[in-house]
Amino acid sequence: MRKFKNKLVAGIFALILTAMAGQAMAKDSSKPIRIPTHNWSSQVVMAYVIGGIFESLGNNVEYVPADSQAVYEAIRNGDVTISHEVWQSTFGKSFYNAMAKGGLIDAGTHSASTLEELGVPHYVVEKNLCPGLPNWEALKNCAEVFATADSGGKGRILEGPQSWHGDLMPNRIKALGLGDKFVVKFAGSADAIWAELAAAKKEGRGIITFNWTPNFTDADGFDFIEFPPYQDGCRIADGGDGSCGSPKGWLKKAANYKFPKTHPAAYSAFSKLSFTTAQIGQMAALVDTEKLSHQDAAKKWLADNEAVWMAFTK
Amino acid sequence: MTNETRNGTGAADHPVIKCDSVYKIFGENAERMVRGSNGNIDVKAFQEAGCIFGVNDASFEVHKGEMLVVMGLSGSGKSTLLRCISRLTKTTAGRIYIDGEDLLAMKDKDLIELRRNKMGMVFQSFALLPHKTVLENIAFPLQVKGISTKDSIDRAAAMVELVDLGGRENYFPRQLSGGQQQRVGIARSLAVEPDIWFLDEPFSALDPLIRKEMQDEFLRLQEMLHKTILFVTHDFDEALRLADRIAIMKDGIIEQIDTPANIVLNPSTEYVAKFTNDVPREKVLKCKNVMEQIGEVADFSDLRVSHNAIIETVAEAVLNESKPVAVVNDNDETIGVLKHKTIVHILFGDISATPSNAN
Amino acid sequence: MTQFSRHSKLIQFSFFVAVFLILSFTIEPSENNLLWRLPAYLAGVPAIVNDSVEYMMFDWMPIEKYNEEIEDFEETPLLKEITRSISGAILFCIQLIREILLGGVKTIVAFTSWDYVQDNSWAHWPALPWTVVSAAAIVLGYALNGIWLAMLACFATIYIAVFGQWEPAMETLSFVMVAAPLSVLLGLIFGVLAYKSQTLEAILAPLLNIAQTMPHFSYLVPVTVFFGLGDHAGAIATVIFATPPMIRLTLLGLKSVSPEVIEAGIMNGCNKYQLLFRVLIPSERHQILIGVNQVIMQCLAMAVIASFIGAKGLGFNLLLALNQLRIGQALELGICIVLIAVVLDKLSLGWANKQIDYFADLTFAQRHKYPLILVAILVVGTVLAYLGTFIFKDGINYFYLIPHNQGITTENFWQSGVDWMVNNWYQGLQGFNKGLIINVLVPMKNAYLGMPVSATFFLVMGLGYIVGGARSALIVGGFLLFIAMTEWWDRALITAYMTTFGVIVSVIIGMVVGSLCAQNSLATKAILLVCDTFQTFPSFIYLIPVIMLFGVTDTSVLIAVIVYATIPSTRYTVEGLRNVPRTLQDAGTMSGVNRMQRLVTIELPLAFPHIVLGINQTVVFALFMVIIGAMIGTDDLGQLILKALSDKNGTGNGLMLGLCVAFIGLAVDHLILRWSADRKKALGLL
Repeated sequence: MRKFKNKLVAGIFALILTAMAGQAMAKDSSKPIRIPTHNWSSQVVMAYVIGGIFESLGNNVEYVPADSQAVYEAIRNGDVTISHEVWQSTFGKSFYNAMAKGGLIDAGTHSASTLEELGVPHYVVEKNLCPGLPNWEALKNCAEVFATADSGGKGRILEGPQSWHGDLMPNRIKALGLGDKFVVKFAGSADAIWAELAAAKKEGRGIITFNWTPNFTDADGFDFIEFPPYQDGCRIADGGDGSCGSPKGWLKKAANYKFPKTHPAAYSAFSKLSFTTAQIGQMAALVDTEKLSHQDAAKKWLADNEAVWMAFTK
Repeated sequence: MTNETRNGTGAADHPVIKCDSVYKIFGENAERMVRGSNGNIDVKAFQEAGCIFGVNDASFEVHKGEMLVVMGLSGSGKSTLLRCISRLTKTTAGRIYIDGEDLLAMKDKDLIELRRNKMGMVFQSFALLPHKTVLENIAFPLQVKGISTKDSIDRAAAMVELVDLGGRENYFPRQLSGGQQQRVGIARSLAVEPDIWFLDEPFSALDPLIRKEMQDEFLRLQEMLHKTILFVTHDFDEALRLADRIAIMKDGIIEQIDTPANIVLNPSTEYVAKFTNDVPREKVLKCKNVMEQIGEVADFSDLRVSHNAIIETVAEAVLNESKPVAVVNDNDETIGVLKHKTIVHILFGDISATPSNAN
Repeated sequence: MTQFSRHSKLIQFSFFVAVFLILSFTIEPSENNLLWRLPAYLAGVPAIVNDSVEYMMFDWMPIEKYNEEIEDFEETPLLKEITRSISGAILFCIQLIREILLGGVKTIVAFTSWDYVQDNSWAHWPALPWTVVSAAAIVLGYALNGIWLAMLACFATIYIAVFGQWEPAMETLSFVMVAAPLSVLLGLIFGVLAYKSQTLEAILAPLLNIAQTMPHFSYLVPVTVFFGLGDHAGAIATVIFATPPMIRLTLLGLKSVSPEVIEAGIMNGCNKYQLLFRVLIPSERHQILIGVNQVIMQCLAMAVIASFIGAKGLGFNLLLALNQLRIGQALELGICIVLIAVVLDKLSLGWANKQIDYFADLTFAQRHKYPLILVAILVVGTVLAYLGTFIFKDGINYFYLIPHNQGITTENFWQSGVDWMVNNWYQGLQGFNKGLIINVLVPMKNAYLGMPVSATFFLVMGLGYIVGGARSALIVGGFLLFIAMTEWWDRALITAYMTTFGVIVSVIIGMVVGSLCAQNSLATKAILLVCDTFQTFPSFIYLIPVIMLFGVTDTSVLIAVIVYATIPSTRYTVEGLRNVPRTLQDAGTMSGVNRMQRLVTIELPLAFPHIVLGINQTVVFALFMVIIGAMIGTDDLGQLILKALSDKNGTGNGLMLGLCVAFIGLAVDHLILRWSADRKKALGLL
């Protein structure tokens, strides 16, 4: 927690500095700011929200569909200007790779704290399919509830693509002594996870998947499993035995290194910009539950929350 | 026709096409060996080196308004010779002159000009452009020259009438019969009013009846146009029917080059004789080819026959006369005499004994 | 002796299989055993590739360039400037077409500056009303190919507009209208050059083979490194994908021009260019049109994948819809893609077949009928759109643009269809799924993984030897060696296992369906239409329902593979059977065979070489889909290719992995083509 505070203070300090620098400089370039859109709702809505904020500052904006992993390389090269949803565990690696090569800068952190963890849809807990959940110890006794056709009688845990966090989950399962009761299956994409979740829900059957919050699944209810709490150094990569859950993660923003120079005002707003878990949830829900289009959702959100975003532009 | 008058004024001194020891040799080393040979081509040495002779030492001339038919079986080199003279293939050695100009030394640009203005060619498989209509195919050589669409189409339309294809202007080649397609091919080759007309087995792909019809058509056109023609065929009858002179080729060598009558009457090699043996001579020979000198004969029958009449057409009449029959030229002057025994001999006898004064 | 030589191939084959089995059972599975697995000698290559690409792009030959944004000089590498200017040119073309269709400012910006546009609010190009584009498409269809094409264009444009997909559809269209002509042009150029130069042909042949078998995912990263992200990058990736068949078909076409036609062109006095453009290329219009058809199909098949690297439009929206599990919406988008493909294809065909009538004596109005109509359409449509602003009060002008959220949708229908399927079929399919996985897939996978590398070499090279002698054995051995020396041999084995399974099932289904449909000309037409549709229909769409039914399992991947890979095996079976010479069929009938006997004893054996080419295509299609199956969840090469999108060594890894996949495809390709050619020769079909 202390570390987080330190970061926050440093961040704010940096913001103030850049904000002052921004005021001192000339007005923003009229060249469009290129905002990437990925394939999940909250990110796309937020892209349009941020685009709307930039436009209110008089900037030109352009949206570029991009793969969520490949985008960091693109920011580095200046093909894309910013990225506004850098999830720690999923994109942290790509983000730092690009930063190490140079050309990409850290533009601050959202106040939303994220959690990326294994969990079950809420009905699993509600219907008591596996008594004791969400505590992880409950898994010891109900592996068969989560068995699938290809799991050979063991419970199956559906993890995201291996590119997201390597063998973190298989290692954890082994370290917790669940290795002979559960197998970890890597899904190929987020879509695959959602499809499995939707199908499981129709059947009312048990399923453990990797998921995160804020996410559109929050609306239906999703309970994250409470693994032993994360401590520094508990992961195998950090020298621990790996028997711990995920930390609360950060949600960062990234920008091309020229952005502060070319669009000082926009950069200032972007670096100040910070959404909470609830706000991000709102954005996603406008699309996922109210079935608005992404642009319309962004418009609605900007109209409803003017006070929130106006603060970033000052 | 203007050609005709020019033809008459001694242009014969300058052959339109002149081949001088033309060789086409196939083989990897042919080029190099020719360069090393100083112009003396030793056939044996080449053949030992694995070279094949497409054309072997061909020399001849074709004069204005003359039709030379090159006859040979497949593989005889007749098409290769034609392609040397049209420079569609590279001649290995020798010289070819077109209107006195050295064809083989010509630059690409001049060659293109020559083809655009002086040469026309008809192909065995018609070689029409499949994506163009009858009219567009005929207009094609004109358009290639840069003539405007309107003018070229007008001219093509006139050509369509010439080859009797009126009403089919907008057909595609695939919608036409073989004979019709070749009419298009002929019209296309004539569109630029070339002086020299190459025909590469133009009627070989056609049915016999159509072939006959096309040959008549062709003779009709030549009657009108008087082109200088090099005509390639494997059909000896066709050659006899059409040619002013025939060149018979075998294995790249011209075995004999002469008028049809002379070839029939005096085949110079056994190979040529194989073709002529079965030829019904009465159908080929004309009166002037077999008539005897007037000499001592004074008592003529009342019947007179034209010197250009084919024997077949007059044989019965001559045999019915009791006296020898006079042969007259175009000016109705008596230039020779036909006797019964000559006719009988042509019809039934051995060829070698036939008197001849072919020209 | 003769007995022996007649069966020698069989004996050889049995020998190779026997040795293979013996090796498989005797070799100790251990990392240090060279006979079991080769060490990854090539493991360092991706990093080298990567470093050299990085060096070339970011360090090599830096030039000084003034950057007005940061008001300072900065160093920028030459190559990057070159590739970026190519990107800029392509992007300009895309935006020009896009803004003609949809309006915008970027074309104006290209000639002025963003400041200028900002200061002058009039500097905005207005969109064409959808009614104008639609009517223009209808008129064009009518002009080029009569009433049927007009009706097709009408249906397609109205469908797109009414379903509210106008904007993304026009975005996709603008990108295809740049990528497709570019592919056709490049294909023609390289085809012609290869026709003229045997050296170039020899160089191009293996490159084309690789480009056609390499999964598109694997060159997405290199494309973004070289050309950046955006519509242009999507277009470039599409061009890489769509050009090879065009080159091939152009070359094939030019080679088949009758020599007499060429001679006729020369004798008519054509110079080099006239001969090329007025004789050679138009004469071969048939092959070239097949090429254009392929290019258009490939371009739209890439619509979805191109959106990974920045192409806007239907593809990106489709990915978004899938992420929200809105199958119905995705389906509607997929249909839009298919419709655009079909209309573009037919229009290009109609244009190429257009005939000029030189004799019609026409007035000015008659002669310029279509341009005049188009102008009239523009005027009427604009007026209508203007009136629309008064008619529709809620701010949406349906005569101008039907926004995406105002279109009608059949989403709920499809959604309930999917729901119904999951509700009713899931339970029933579980048993099948489980049985298949436990009894077939897992054992098969383990068997593949249990093959020692030496045994695999022996078997595959042995097959090569039987089919094409020592040369073939060396070629397929070379392909295999490359894969064996990477660190991904096991992954490649998994890819091979899934491909094998997919191909076997696809071929069986394809041959049965194809044989049945080939019996009747109506059914033939119908099945070929189905094949065309599925080939352009984005395969991503059926991934989702399949996952819902079968979960994230190999079954799901294989079902997707089979759906896709059955297309070529069906198509080639139908074509092969329909092309059996009539006389042979008659001969069979006269010797008293019944229909079934005729099929089995006459038609199938004669059609078999062609069907085998279909199997070859099936392998390529199956490989492609196995790689896309990584989106479901596999542990083969495809998964690593997807992973390469975020790797540090993305470029190198992506390309190397792509090569591994390509080499699997090429090894099979070599064996099959070789066999088929020999067989055709033996049957006298060549």
